[in-house]
Amino acid sequence: MDFLEVVGSRRSIRIFKPWEQVEKEKIQRILEVVRLTTCPGNLQPWRAIVVERDKLSKEDRETLLACDNYQGAHVNAPVWIYWFADVEGSTADTFRTRVHDLVDLGALPTFYGWTHETIDSAIVKGETAPEGMPAIHSLIHGLPREAAEAVARQETVGACAVAVLAAVNEGLGTCLHMAASAEKTPDLHAVLNAPEGWVPVWCQLVGYPAESPDGGGQRPRLPFETLYYDGAYGKPFARNAEVVEKLEEEKLLQEEMPKPGRFEELKHLARMLGFPL
Amino acid sequence: MNDLKSCPSVQKWIENVNRYYNLSDEEWDSRLQTLADFCRSEEKDPDTVIAEALADRGEKVDFIRRLKKFVKTQTSNPRVGHDLENIVRSFFIHNGARVVTRPYRGDA
Repeated sequence: MDFLEVVGSRRSIRIFKPWEQVEKEKIQRILEVVRLTTCPGNLQPWRAIVVERDKLSKEDRETLLACDNYQGAHVNAPVWIYWFADVEGSTADTFRTRVHDLVDLGALPTFYGWTHETIDSAIVKGETAPEGMPAIHSLIHGLPREAAEAVARQETVGACAVAVLAAVNEGLGTCLHMAASAEKTPDLHAVLNAPEGWVPVWCQLVGYPAESPDGGGQRPRLPFETLYYDGAYGKPFARNAEVVEKLEEEKLLQEEMPKPGRFEELKHLARMLGFPL
Repeated sequence: MNDLKSCPSVQKWIENVNRYYNLSDEEWDSRLQTLADFCRSEEKDPDTVIAEALADRGEKVDFIRRLKKFVKTQTSNPRVGHDLENIVRSFFIHNGARVVTRPYRGDA
């Protein structure tokens, strides 16, 4: 599928075929895509644990579902990918190690000021980074653990956005769900044997959609002009109608909800799967 | 059945469901019959069932526990029983009493 069509066809799918398993190769392909996601300092603080619902013991399945308040889509989906932010993956020391590597590989050019010495003096000693480099003395030096956790979370969220597109590209339905409420997080860690420093971010549900893959149409989005500005806030970025038309042809922009027959579809799905109407 | 329809909780249920799914009169007759039978087994009217379920989580859990027993008196077919349970669950849900819902899984 073309990139624009993947983005345009993505929906949060909430009704899966519970009986149809997902090929392990497709899950691997999703994980391979995410591995290459953009990330500052090449930190890669995301981790994932892939759970096949029907391979869990009944007890573990119930515990994990309880962590997510037994949400219907979670109950319904055959694969649950738990995405975690590894706080250790975003510490100042990890950043330092990773950017050293990037300098040695030629990704961070020395002519912008990137050397082992400038990196160490900024991150370890807090000395001002030379112009041409980001202000890592301010951003990374003395980075408190809470800030490292925030970085790990935000980068994992970004990775999850890529993960859902990768799933759509495989012809799968997918949706990001809460992994666990705060009070249930220890239960999640216990069942999945997740290390203590891993913070649950999202549970990505994956399966073949029982609902129409278009999920009843694209979700309504805020007007373009209220989201984007040209030069400075106050002057909306002009939306060119010809570009819009071309994006419709390329299937980025598709018919919005509600499409006719959506509730009829939901009615039949509820009956087929045994959910209350 | 008309008595049942005069209950605010039943009216709310019908209005909420029909807002989206517009079920036929025949289907409603069948659903109302199931609700009436359940309420009779509880010896309570629908409004009282909802009021008690909303007031006390333990009471709500007990209603659902008894609902499972009730459907076994109505049918020996597990899928039919699941669907009968769902009718009463729907009545709870649309009146704000959160109950867990599961797809039908045969052996589960």
